[in-house]
Amino acid sequence: MVDRLERLTDLVLVLLRDQRPKSLREIASEVPGYPAQEGEARRQAFERDKRTLRDGGIEVTAVPIDGPEQVGYVIRPEDYYLPDLDLAPDEQAALNLAVAGVHLGDPSGRDALWRLGLPASAGARPVAELPALPALPALYGALRARATVSFDYRGERRRVDPALLRFHGGWWYLVGFDLDRAAPRTFRVDRMDGDVSAAAPGSAVLPEGFDPDAALPDVPWRIGEGALVTVSVHVDAALAGLVLDEVGSSALASRNDDGSVVVQLEVTNIAALRSWLFELGAHAEILGPDEVRADVVSWIEAVAGVADGPVVAS
Amino acid sequence: MTTRADAGSRLLRLLAVLTWLARQGRAPLSDLSERFGLEADELIADLELAACCGLPPYSPDQLMEIIVDDHEVVADLGAELGRPRRLTAAEGFALAASARAILAVPGADPEGALGRALSKLEAVLGGRGMLRVDLRDPAHLAVIRDASEEGRQLELHYYSASSDRESTRIVDPVSVRLIEGHWYLDGYCHNAQDMRRFRVDRVSSARLTGEPAGHRGGDPDMQHRDGAAPGSEAFVPGPEATIAHLAVDDDAVWIVEALASSSHGRADGRTGVTLAVASTVWFGRLLLRLGPHAEVLDPPELAEAGREAARQLLARYRGDTAS
Repeated sequence: MVDRLERLTDLVLVLLRDQRPKSLREIASEVPGYPAQEGEARRQAFERDKRTLRDGGIEVTAVPIDGPEQVGYVIRPEDYYLPDLDLAPDEQAALNLAVAGVHLGDPSGRDALWRLGLPASAGARPVAELPALPALPALYGALRARATVSFDYRGERRRVDPALLRFHGGWWYLVGFDLDRAAPRTFRVDRMDGDVSAAAPGSAVLPEGFDPDAALPDVPWRIGEGALVTVSVHVDAALAGLVLDEVGSSALASRNDDGSVVVQLEVTNIAALRSWLFELGAHAEILGPDEVRADVVSWIEAVAGVADGPVVAS
Repeated sequence: MTTRADAGSRLLRLLAVLTWLARQGRAPLSDLSERFGLEADELIADLELAACCGLPPYSPDQLMEIIVDDHEVVADLGAELGRPRRLTAAEGFALAASARAILAVPGADPEGALGRALSKLEAVLGGRGMLRVDLRDPAHLAVIRDASEEGRQLELHYYSASSDRESTRIVDPVSVRLIEGHWYLDGYCHNAQDMRRFRVDRVSSARLTGEPAGHRGGDPDMQHRDGAAPGSEAFVPGPEATIAHLAVDDDAVWIVEALASSSHGRADGRTGVTLAVASTVWFGRLLLRLGPHAEVLDPPELAEAGREAARQLLARYRGDTAS
């Protein structure tokens, strides 16, 4: 009885080294370990091996051939070997340090270095931890293959032509064109349920001029279709740096002697602005326009339980 | 056979070992074991099996030449097997994401060696420009990172969100890292006389004291206790946290989604949310954000935190601080 590992190893070598597609009969005669009798058992053993190889990223391609069996099998070099990256020594070292410096929660980065023949560097200090989500490799693969993806999201099946995978503000997002809604959409990758499936390579066709940046605004109060309002916010010195870091220094309207600042924010989503503002506690105050300030004050009054305050409309 | 791994993963592992051996020619057994995370007897068994593989008719000249002795493997496998195999989806993603993340660290040189390596990688993998990592650049990050690299002591003005207080601290920096989208400084705080974690974007000023950092190594355990270290600002509930139950309208579920430890649909159409509360100041602000869209079911005394946060903020709006 030939060990299955031996059969698989021989199968890879036979299908790879000689680029002539081989029929199953030829394969069974060259690779020890397949059932001697032609028939269903042999076919099933071979199909099982093909699946095992595919699961490991080794694609066995079926091509039409002359002869009674009509189908031949081959592993194409371009499906098996990595094209030469031609990395200079300093580029190899930089890639090494990057993999050592970023924790993605699994050893894939280190495995990739091995595969490229680069020794992994030990002892480098981690710089960043990014959330590792099971859907990310599949989404990245689909992006590279320009394949339509589908996944469950908030209890619904979504079909999306992917445009960009983006880490922003601590979350991974998929930006793409939602086929059922016929509009650009952004999805939090951690909220996808179960597996992501990808259609055939090339199936995703983004609309002309699709701009993934426009689909994912930098700040939450721009995610919305409301009318654009410019809102002035006064922020205490203690949180001025934090806020400027988040909104960008271009929003700075004035800086006061006590270290506090006034920022001007372009807002299309008042609810999102309010939520962000309240995270700052009593360290920030909306100065205007009056209607936005009044809206926020009535919200606070409702939460404070002020009896004679105006009722929050929502 | 000592290995219990399935044939598929054993094959991939064996191919990786053979690729490495094809390039090296010879390698100490201990090196191979360590590099590929294999026990010596598993490794020897797989290599002996591989020595029987090759091309038909499996005559000795067509077999792979692998000689294993007590402490070394010598192999002649030909150049073809030494070529690297294609990256799996997970490996390709890990390489590209790591490189993108390091290039996004403030001060990184996009034209440098890593940028060039990534260009070559993306030229081969495809997907150029389809993966982006945005990292924040808080005002005092550069000073704090340099101090940490060079082992210099810092004086920080720091705002703590859990206590809603600003304080001045003397800190010996140990490491600076990005976790869940925020930069954190881990260091020995002389005021607290213990290790503390600081969110860099809550530092309102940072200066070098001129002293060296006395506690460079710090508590080695700290490296593995993300968010659970004392004084941590990251949202990881400690054992002292209170468990709160809320009922939240659909309109506001998005605010608590990432914070909830569990959630379920309720008969009244709202979502029942359970979350851990380590700071009543923080929880009060959360209730303020949720406003009329949420109700504290339990414990009742936590409902007061929202009213308190609202009253404080209302005092500001009704006072004379508005210009």
